[in-house]
Amino acid sequence: MANLLEAPAVESAAPAAETLDTGRAPTGSEARLPGLLLLAVAVIATCGLIYELIAGTLASYLLGDSVTQFSTIIGAYLFAMGIGSWLSKFLEGSLLRWFIRLEILVGIVGGCMAPLLFVSFEYVASFRVLLYTLVGLTGILVGLEIPLLMRILEHRYPFKDLVARVFTVDYIGALLASLIFPLVLVPQLGLIRTSLVFGALNLAVAAVVLARFPETRPYRRRFGVGIGAALLGLAVLFGFANKLLAYTETLAFQDQVIYSKSTPYQRIVLTRNPRELRLFLNGNLQFSSADEYRYHEALVHPLLQALPQARRVLVMGGGDGLAVRELLKYPRLTSIKLVDLDAGMTELFQHNELLLGLNKGALNNPKVQVINADAYQWIRQDTTRYDAIIVDFPDPGNYSIGKLYSAAFYTALARRLAPGGRLVVQSTSPFLARQSFWCVAHTLAAVGLHTIPYHLYVPSFGEWGFVLAGPDTHWRGDLSPLPAGLRYITPATIHDMLRFPPDMSEVPTEVNQLNNQVLVRYFEEDWGPYVH
Amino acid sequence: MPTRRSFLAQSGAALTGALLLPALPGCAPTNPLAHIKGQLLGPDAATGHLLRDPGKLPAPTSTIETDVLIIGGGVAGLSARRWLHQHGQPNTLLVELAPEAGGNASAGRNAASAYPWGAHYLPVPDVRNTELLAFLQAAGTLTGYAPDGQPTYNDYHLCHDPEERLNIEGHWQEGLVPSLGLSAEAQAQVAHFFELIETLKAAVGRDGRDAFRIPLDQSSTDETYRQLDTISFAAYLDREGFTAPALRWYLNYACRDDYGATAAQVSAWAGLHYFASRKGRAHNASGSDVLTWPEGNHFLIENLRRQASAPIHTQTLAYDLRETATGIEALIYSVATRQSTRVRARQVLLATPQHIATRLLAAVPGHHLPPPGALHHAPWLVANLTVAGLPQGPGRPLSWDNVRYGSASLGYINATQQSVEQDDSGPKVITLYWPLTDEAPGPARRRAYQTSYAEWLPRVLAELETYHPGVTPYVQQADLCVWGHGMVAPTPGLLWGAARAAAMQPVRGRVFFAHTDFSGISIFEEGFYQGIRAARELLAAGGETR
Repeated sequence: MANLLEAPAVESAAPAAETLDTGRAPTGSEARLPGLLLLAVAVIATCGLIYELIAGTLASYLLGDSVTQFSTIIGAYLFAMGIGSWLSKFLEGSLLRWFIRLEILVGIVGGCMAPLLFVSFEYVASFRVLLYTLVGLTGILVGLEIPLLMRILEHRYPFKDLVARVFTVDYIGALLASLIFPLVLVPQLGLIRTSLVFGALNLAVAAVVLARFPETRPYRRRFGVGIGAALLGLAVLFGFANKLLAYTETLAFQDQVIYSKSTPYQRIVLTRNPRELRLFLNGNLQFSSADEYRYHEALVHPLLQALPQARRVLVMGGGDGLAVRELLKYPRLTSIKLVDLDAGMTELFQHNELLLGLNKGALNNPKVQVINADAYQWIRQDTTRYDAIIVDFPDPGNYSIGKLYSAAFYTALARRLAPGGRLVVQSTSPFLARQSFWCVAHTLAAVGLHTIPYHLYVPSFGEWGFVLAGPDTHWRGDLSPLPAGLRYITPATIHDMLRFPPDMSEVPTEVNQLNNQVLVRYFEEDWGPYVH
Repeated sequence: MPTRRSFLAQSGAALTGALLLPALPGCAPTNPLAHIKGQLLGPDAATGHLLRDPGKLPAPTSTIETDVLIIGGGVAGLSARRWLHQHGQPNTLLVELAPEAGGNASAGRNAASAYPWGAHYLPVPDVRNTELLAFLQAAGTLTGYAPDGQPTYNDYHLCHDPEERLNIEGHWQEGLVPSLGLSAEAQAQVAHFFELIETLKAAVGRDGRDAFRIPLDQSSTDETYRQLDTISFAAYLDREGFTAPALRWYLNYACRDDYGATAAQVSAWAGLHYFASRKGRAHNASGSDVLTWPEGNHFLIENLRRQASAPIHTQTLAYDLRETATGIEALIYSVATRQSTRVRARQVLLATPQHIATRLLAAVPGHHLPPPGALHHAPWLVANLTVAGLPQGPGRPLSWDNVRYGSASLGYINATQQSVEQDDSGPKVITLYWPLTDEAPGPARRRAYQTSYAEWLPRVLAELETYHPGVTPYVQQADLCVWGHGMVAPTPGLLWGAARAAAMQPVRGRVFFAHTDFSGISIFEEGFYQGIRAARELLAAGGETR
């Protein structure tokens, strides 16, 4: 940490010192001041490039398409620097005073750039306007710096030396910035803290110049207070950087984010493009409105088709109400209980108009009881029996969720089934995560259930699989009529879904138990090639 | 005028300081541990030490009669009480010094979780240990037998995955046997050691008994194996060429974990027994799996207690035993009422460490207990830390058992491991185990007793910081417990020497002994077995005198 902060100052000291020793500059303490300004060039050059890199990286993070983002950010930034350079000719009077002012402004604007952009991402109607305004402003201010410094130094060095020295130091600073940004700053500090640290460096340049040049005496105190206050502000933000980041989690969504919220359990993000709405939980796609009907029809209708007598249904997970929407197509059902951990999720799907349009207000239906509770804890204390249970949890990507796919959990579920009752489990992709899928099937079988695996193609997910489990395997999609108006499930589709081609066919696996959690390991193995 | 370089250095330092300041919130010159609440607990050594000077205790004011008096409410005492209850001798009184029965398997609880103060797991048992299986079945831990005849264990009691991880140079690997960055030679030694263990697990002596078995008294008497008790484990490993530092670290860790002593201090037989006696089998688990509970083995204590109805007097010190014409008279002192009571019993079962038994029997001749100090009992520090989070390094996620290669302590277990809740973001309790093996048990014990909470706390936090740099601000509470006599160590000659067998001999059908000190190995199975052994002897002798 300490080394990192000192690095720019210390490393740039060497070339500046050399420049000074070989120059024909006046001797004595006065001689050191131009050197100090050259040092300032190095620091501000580093800062300037860092701001540009931060803006480019941030824009790629938040808006996607990094080539476009970087290209346009660099272009806009350089153009703004040009404007700044041109504007510099209008600055008259005490140039040193202008320079200090400028440094303070760059420090504040550049320093706050990353935190401001992160936080405002969700709240600003047009994020790009803010982004390019900030990039433009920073660019203009940075563009003013070098011409101004050259004017300050113009009488201290011959012109050829001046140009040579200033630009040498400038480019060394740029090289330094371009190396430490990806190698040290982003991995160690992150974007927000990097931005703040370099803002502070600009302020430090202002402070040092203010302290070292005698002609700044008249306004030293006033400017000093300003610098102090700005440093303090950046320092406070630095302290809260983690909280800021947690609040604004960097998510690379392709589409416009129209809603985002962090609940105590997860981060809910809703995006839209002209074709579809997409829901992400912790960055993982949960559904696309364009094809979610395939998934939810396949989740619900085979089970209900196999249970012509079903009256009471339990849904675990599925806080979006889309499975419940399908269930409500069966007037014979008398009670639907939905257990979802996250009240933030179920409330969103009970109240947001856009989403109510999607789930047809399913969660507000009088037959439906929404319970916000931990599924595992809840099922162990529940005493009701259900004809059908629908299990729609996130994929078993960690040891916590893995427990909801364990033999012990399925035992607890099976105890809640009424005689003849069945359950269905979303079981990840039998193509992309073949071991995982069959592990779920084998685990259900291990607790004494008879399993009927099936699968379908959901364009936004790929091949997806479910396991139907119950007291027997006597069902082949022919027990009772399906509700009218389904878009995917028909008796013929069910027939197709039951067939597994060789590339998805059964593979041997262990049974997922709390004391081995093999499913999480299979899932890591299965998805490994796609993640890396 | 400062030189330019020094000026730059100063301004650099000042800038660094200015920027660093907010990065360390609360980094005023105050105590960085000031936010941590907690206290130092421990067995009531002060009351226990009253035994050294029983003359100071009040004279008895009443008398009670019982057939059997059990002194000591640890695993062995409760196991004996249960056995007597199940075998026609319910007229029993158990006295225990602590406020609750449990001994080394006691536990605590706070808003975050229950947590153990000592023993905290039981390996999946050998299926031949039918008494233990019957107990576990009554406790709901063994849920039944699968068609293949193997026991099925309660899924919520089997330790959940991920079970173990080892921190090597900041990276967490899976399992406790070091595997990261081992040379080919070291890997070969590790493999060879575990092949040897597999051989020893299957080994049978000339008498037809297993070479290594739990309870250990059922192991073979074959000299081929028993002579391993005469040398130290370290000497044996040297002799057999197991010299790779990583392997030796692991084996030394295992000895400190199970015996509170180093590989150089315990016998080779005991060092091998740790591994070669694990022959558990189950339908839904393997022999390397363990049973555990948030409150540790206090779960087993509670079930031992519930499986009998005889009264238990806690906070009660037995201090003066005398033989009478009809049995034994004991004086007991209640710490709560500050009164003494005379207990007339036909038989007494001493379920205390040997050094306590020796003091209690000062006036009862005819026993063969070794002199106090003959056994090696290392002191232990156990710390229960309530943490709001654990800054996680690279590698495996938080597991049940978390150990650092080369660490002074034995690492910590996560008391919330068995939770099935999805939301695991709340505070956790972790239990850090630290056998104080740096010096001989006597001096280490005295030093431990003299160390205050304020002195322990920074040591514990410094240790935890080596596991999780930056964890200190996350620690909300740190309760510490010093066990003066943590557990007996099976030093060379102890297990198969004549002294151990002699010590457990009953005195004239009236005084019986049950404690893991009489096994020489302090594990639940041995305490459970010792209680049953002594109860059986007592019942047999009671039948004769009746």
